[in-house]
Amino acid sequence: MSESETTRDKWGIAHVHASFNNTLITVTDLTGAETIVKSSGGAVVKQNRDEASPYAAMQMAESVAEEIKAAGIEGLHVRVRGPGGNDNKSPGPGAQATIRALARAGLEIGRIEDVTPIPHDGTRAPKNSRL
Amino acid sequence: MSRIALTGTPGTGKTTVSELVAEKLDIEVVHLNDAIREADLVEERDVERDSLVADLDAVEAWLDDRESKGADGAVGSDGAAGEHERDVLVESHLSHLLDVDRAIVLRCHPDELNPRLRERGESEDSIAENAESEALDVILAEAVERHGAESVWEIDTTGRPPEAVADDVAAAIEGEAEPRVGVVDFVEYL
Ligand SMILES: Nc1ncnc2c1ncn2[C@@H]1O[C@H](COP(=O)(O)OP(=O)(O)O)[C@@H](O)[C@H]1O
Ligand SMILES: [Mg+2]
Repeated sequence: MSESETTRDKWGIAHVHASFNNTLITVTDLTGAETIVKSSGGAVVKQNRDEASPYAAMQMAESVAEEIKAAGIEGLHVRVRGPGGNDNKSPGPGAQATIRALARAGLEIGRIEDVTPIPHDGTRAPKNSRL
Repeated sequence: MSRIALTGTPGTGKTTVSELVAEKLDIEVVHLNDAIREADLVEERDVERDSLVADLDAVEAWLDDRESKGADGAVGSDGAAGEHERDVLVESHLSHLLDVDRAIVLRCHPDELNPRLRERGESEDSIAENAESEALDVILAEAVERHGAESVWEIDTTGRPPEAVADDVAAAIEGEAEPRVGVVDFVEYL
């Protein structure tokens, strides 16, 4: 196996879905075709959302990190989908907490991309109006 | 007069429900999608999504202008054109991004949203992106971020007839229901 292939094998993509109430992580290979780990979701305790959300997401990310490392993955590119993608004050604070927890668990973090979908019909909002 | 947003992912039933609400309450309904097209309140065109990118400042100015003119024909009790009394319900998936007093967010499980959008003839790409937006609570989160949870009424329409949804929307407008968010969790769809 060439060196670049060996290196490639050690990287995956973490798809972080951070909704208002929940966070879900799926880790795939670099093609996105093969799922390595699928998290069960860091559901939020509704009474105390602001604190519970990042905490639940962090705990989930820690257990996901262990599984990923066991599968031989050393680095992750991250694709964040969700209104909480960029700003931990916003309602889906699970995303930032997830990325930090993955890094803290010793995984190398590569490119972080925001691929949050845009609701649209014949009209849509401008990008800068979004959060 | 207060300005209320009726928002939600395309297909959640905003247009349908707004018409039912107008039959129940003395309220003026603005169908913002039509206005954006007719008054050309547009910044650019999103070719990939075949969608007009709204100019939100122009939308805001257009709304202010029609309210100050009393666009629905209402005239203040002192006879002066201007401040009119009727509440305005702004119906659009962009309305929560405007300066509104309250936001009502319609929700629908993506499994039920998909066939509604398919029947309406949306492309498969649009259906998929809207369903994913709904599963991720994108509009709800924006509404709460902008207006605070104390000004947002989230209403689940899944499996419910439009008349029942219209009753809930009317209760929110009339102040007969408390603000409420976090009522659905659709991430298992993803
Ligand atoms: N509560 C509901 N149950 C079932 N179908 C509905 C409901 N509300 C709306 N629909 C249907 O779904 C489609 C989209 O509704 P519409 O009011 O145009 O949504 P929006 O304005 O939010 O995009 C229409 O075909 C409509 O008849
Ligand atoms: Mg509509």
